Amino acid sequence: MPHVNVVCFLASYCVAFGFDAWRLRARTGWSRILSLAFGAAGLLAQTLYLLLRSSQSHQPPLLSSAHDWLLVLAWLAVLIHLFVSLLDSSIASGIVVWPIVLSLVVGSLFVVASPSTRLDFHHNWKMLHASMLVLGTAAILFGFVLSLLYLWQHRRLKHRQMLTSGLTLPSLERLERYNRWAILVSVPLLTFGVATGIGLAAVAKSDALPTWTDPVVLGGAVTWLLMCGMFCWLLLGKRPPGRQVAGLTAWACGFLLFMIVGLQMLTAAVGVRTVHGPDPQHTSQEPPSGSTKQD
Amino acid sequence: MNLLVLYCTHQTTPLAIRERLAFASRERIEQAYAALRQRFPDSEAVILSTCNRVELYLAGPEGDPLQLKQALSQFLAEFHQVPLDEFVGELKAASGSEAVWHLFEVISSLDSMVLGEPQIVNQVRQAYREAEEFGACGALVHSLFQSAIRVSGRVRSETRLAEGRVSIASVAVGDFAKSIFDSFGDKLVLVIGAGEMAEETLRYLKDEGVRDIIVVNRSPERAERLAKDWGSRAEPWSRLDHWLGRADVIVSTTGAEKPIVDVARFRAARAGVARHTALIFDLGAPRDFDPEVDGLEEVYLYDIDSLSQTCEENRHARVREIDHARQIVSEELSRFMAEFHHRASGDVVSRLMEDWHAISKDELGRLFNKLPHLSPKDREAIERTVDRIVNKLLHPPLTVLKDEAREGTPHGLISALKRLFRLDG
Repeated sequence: MPHVNVVCFLASYCVAFGFDAWRLRARTGWSRILSLAFGAAGLLAQTLYLLLRSSQSHQPPLLSSAHDWLLVLAWLAVLIHLFVSLLDSSIASGIVVWPIVLSLVVGSLFVVASPSTRLDFHHNWKMLHASMLVLGTAAILFGFVLSLLYLWQHRRLKHRQMLTSGLTLPSLERLERYNRWAILVSVPLLTFGVATGIGLAAVAKSDALPTWTDPVVLGGAVTWLLMCGMFCWLLLGKRPPGRQVAGLTAWACGFLLFMIVGLQMLTAAVGVRTVHGPDPQHTSQEPPSGSTKQD
Repeated sequence: MNLLVLYCTHQTTPLAIRERLAFASRERIEQAYAALRQRFPDSEAVILSTCNRVELYLAGPEGDPLQLKQALSQFLAEFHQVPLDEFVGELKAASGSEAVWHLFEVISSLDSMVLGEPQIVNQVRQAYREAEEFGACGALVHSLFQSAIRVSGRVRSETRLAEGRVSIASVAVGDFAKSIFDSFGDKLVLVIGAGEMAEETLRYLKDEGVRDIIVVNRSPERAERLAKDWGSRAEPWSRLDHWLGRADVIVSTTGAEKPIVDVARFRAARAGVARHTALIFDLGAPRDFDPEVDGLEEVYLYDIDSLSQTCEENRHARVREIDHARQIVSEELSRFMAEFHHRASGDVVSRLMEDWHAISKDELGRLFNKLPHLSPKDREAIERTVDRIVNKLLHPPLTVLKDEAREGTPHGLISALKRLFRLDG
């Protein structure tokens, strides 16, 4: 297995962002190709890195640690962005997506990297729990990106500004529709993720962490409640104006993403034990070198 | 070979003359090619005739460009039956690399009335296709026009010359309406008044798929007439508020002396109707909508000034790209001329190599007849050695010839080589 570390794909994503940002100033075919190439190279390096860590910890990345979980989230964001860019090279999504991806990757350096072996029973349920949460969070992230693009497009149209660099933004109607769907999809996923988490905690017979005072669990619950509120507002209320939805989504999703990453960083810095944290025996921030017990 | 272009364009010649020299129909073009073939049997030709230009490209044997220009002018006069002295002063001509430069500029839309407009590429392609169809194309015309098409592709992809719309209606629909709505098939368009600009905007909207159009005009007869023309529905003026509340796109050109819709009226019209975005193009001067309407939630109001400003910005952006486009044209001109000159010396090179290799082959044949005991392997080794000697001897003069060809056709060297090695026979 090759030696790959976070710097490899972090640097690739930085360069890809640089080329995308450059497209705002000058229209050059090569900057688009280079952005895609560096993004794809970073994605490959990140995939190898996650596989390497997974093989070392003998756990799928989603169950391994907060570090891996955030990297999977960033990986999903890059994958979707590259797919969209290949479909329509003129869409200016990179300007918004790359800073978020970079924040997630940098944030992953400050959260617990040691693998968790605490809830090592009901592997499939744990996997389902983590998958639902990461997909739900990816939908939130997608909604965040769409709402930022909406606000950008709205501002451009109100101020009669032209995008002269060959980049385009999707229409407000399309952004509003996709944004709405992102929120509507994220809530069932998060709900299922939270429900399986509660179930797993209820049947756990380990040294019983105080689950409901666990900051990460609490943060997750607040996230879920907030998204449920938005879900009801969108479904049950009178159809709100697109800018209002975009503004609220941008604030809510931004806050939620910040809280998810921030809480993980805070618990890692303060050394608070969480149900998603490492074993008390494994407190190192380095990737594990040996194998961990698997049920 | 010599290349000449004789042309009159919107920049050099009044329309009154251009229209008399135009090749207006396919039949006329076919007749013109037949006449050109008769008059210039050894030449290749292309006729480019559009509403903004009439151009004749002629590639033929070496000759005096001035005489060729006169002959072509005479051809135009006779073909169109227009006295030569009525237009000869309006005609421009360019030969050699200047003619190539002219074509490259034309096809890149650097010489167009609307800088960067895309139609000219298709018009040049069409002219080239017709020349090919009517048997007027040869190696030089093929090479020239294929290079020209490549140049236009480079200019379009590497510069912003064709970017940004430059007419009010295209900016309104292409830049603003399409940035707000994803599709137009389900949108209701309300037309208030009946200005020319509204008609043009409607044409663009219909191209985008708009089906449902309501026309409201103070004069019911005029509304009916317009509705019939545009395949839409006329509604009485008294129903304006009703449709203001329901329309997704509003195009207004009433010519009223003061705004007919203020914030209160618009807000009242939209109240009680399911929330939806309103895009308003106020193309009237004076304006039909109070500018304050733009401050309402989900209302996007563009007046004639804001649309004109965008057009002007786009025009300036295109002008800023001229130097970059000309740089590409210049690069491609150098490339084309180098290839052209290289081809001119290519005949001599290939004949020289063929002659020398033929001589070496004859001599080797004689040698092998005298030495029948040589094994096939020995013969092959001798043949390879002789080939190497011939190639090494030819290398210095041919390198000099190629180097000279980069600067222009090396007539002196070619003629010297022909005489020295008797290549004429």
